[in-house]
Amino acid sequence: MTTPAGQGRAPEGGAGTQPRSVLRITDLVAGYGGGDVLREVSLQVPEGGITCVVGPNGAGKSTLLAAVSGLLRPRLGSIELDGQDLAGLSPRQVLRLGVVQVPQNHSLFRDMTVRENIELGGYILADRALTARRAAAVFDLFPDIAGWAGKKAGSLSGGQQRLVEFARALMLEPRLLLLDEPSMGLAPKILRTVFDAVRQMNATGTTILLVEQNARAGLRLSSHGVVMESGRVRLSGTGREVLENPEIGALYLGGAVSAG
Amino acid sequence: MARQIYQAIVDGILVGGVYALMAVGLTLIFGVLDIINIAQGVLVILGAYLSYELSVRIHLDLFLGLLVTVTAMFVIGVVIQWAFIRRLRGRERTSMTLLVTYAVALIIEGVLYEIYGPNPKQLNASYVQSSVHVLGFYLSYIYLYGFVLALALVVAIYALLYRTRFGRSVRATMQDETAARLIGIDVNRVAAVTFGVGVAVTAAGGMMFGATNAFNPNSGYDLISRLLAIIILGGLGSIGGALVASVFMLTLESLVTIWSPEWAIVVFYAALVVVLVIRPAGFFGRQPVRAQ
Repeated sequence: MTTPAGQGRAPEGGAGTQPRSVLRITDLVAGYGGGDVLREVSLQVPEGGITCVVGPNGAGKSTLLAAVSGLLRPRLGSIELDGQDLAGLSPRQVLRLGVVQVPQNHSLFRDMTVRENIELGGYILADRALTARRAAAVFDLFPDIAGWAGKKAGSLSGGQQRLVEFARALMLEPRLLLLDEPSMGLAPKILRTVFDAVRQMNATGTTILLVEQNARAGLRLSSHGVVMESGRVRLSGTGREVLENPEIGALYLGGAVSAG
Repeated sequence: MARQIYQAIVDGILVGGVYALMAVGLTLIFGVLDIINIAQGVLVILGAYLSYELSVRIHLDLFLGLLVTVTAMFVIGVVIQWAFIRRLRGRERTSMTLLVTYAVALIIEGVLYEIYGPNPKQLNASYVQSSVHVLGFYLSYIYLYGFVLALALVVAIYALLYRTRFGRSVRATMQDETAARLIGIDVNRVAAVTFGVGVAVTAAGGMMFGATNAFNPNSGYDLISRLLAIIILGGLGSIGGALVASVFMLTLESLVTIWSPEWAIVVFYAALVVVLVIRPAGFFGRQPVRAQ
């Protein structure tokens, strides 16, 4: 067992004094039927920041999030949220502890209205008054969404659906928000809106663990960066450190990606 | 001749109500669990035998008896899902569930055969034999009551799906299972209860079928092929579609029977082919399966 979060030393590769970690993953091994995708992954998510995980396809970024949110049961290792081990809990139990995931593929209930979708974000609250209060707060944060409340979720554009997914995730006032490639399939122009929304959610105090294919834009947005490769952590540090690491820049960030 | 046609239409609509009672559960189960429950036909017959027991042994009214048989069939459905279907996962799931539910059908049929043998039974009550004469049509009481029951059950299922928290979780699971898990819905529980409800409804279908037809343990096979045709025509997963398709198919069959009872059965399936050529997803099916 590792020491409880908050008293730990700085992680390897970390720079200077670290804020308290919300999430501490230690030697995590996990995979689907065909074998291990994650091979002893260790990383920390500092409180109040945005931690961005980048890496090539198949590095295990999405698998990492699936293991944290309970969709995938890890084989070995620990995933501690504020010192409590999440490994092996069901998605529902993980939600109750305050970890909410927005998956990579569009996950709105297409035949339901935007309002119904957002209310369903508070499904485990099972309290109408609380659900209504939270929904009102979410509509305050994203005023655009209030205008779509009566529309079928399936009729929204890709970018709009992303924002509604964020809003739905905020219904539980998450301790940790997991975002799996929010830029997936979006036009560059809309990308900015989506990243602005990520920044905005972070500004209201939500700690975010972000997985991003668009590495440059993701890291620029983030306080911390983690580079994964073939199921292992290759490097971690502040967002800027990772962005400016020449080796990593050449390997994963791709010189061709324009400054956004 | 015209009178004969009108009477055939009225008969078709009423018998369609009986088929709706059997088909609604099948389409609901498909919509939520994404599986075809081949055992649905023999479960209808099991429902009929349960009604038979209550009616013959303790002389309970057929409709009152539904309170018992619907509850019993709900439990049976939950047990079948929990014991056999819950375990099936992965790529082979769809084909495996066909085999597993077929095995369940064989087991139930075998048990029924062991208890009741091959001789046909029929449910009886005062209203099974009598009919009322309205506007020149003969309307049999049992079909009238059954049609009202079918409408009531369809409305009840709609209310369950669209007016309750549980219903929301069912619709969410239907539309995106992973997303449903990620908002904290226990999709295993949703699957078990939905399967239970889908089977419970067949208790009503079984009673109606047993009161209007002679049945034996083999009767489930003819039924399941008809029910499959109905839910495909209505649009897989569509509850309203199952009701409309039942009425459409049985009315068509009833009309053709005036001229040729032999051709009526052929027309039943021919109609399915014709409709699917024009509307591949059935009456109410759209690209993704939905609850409408």
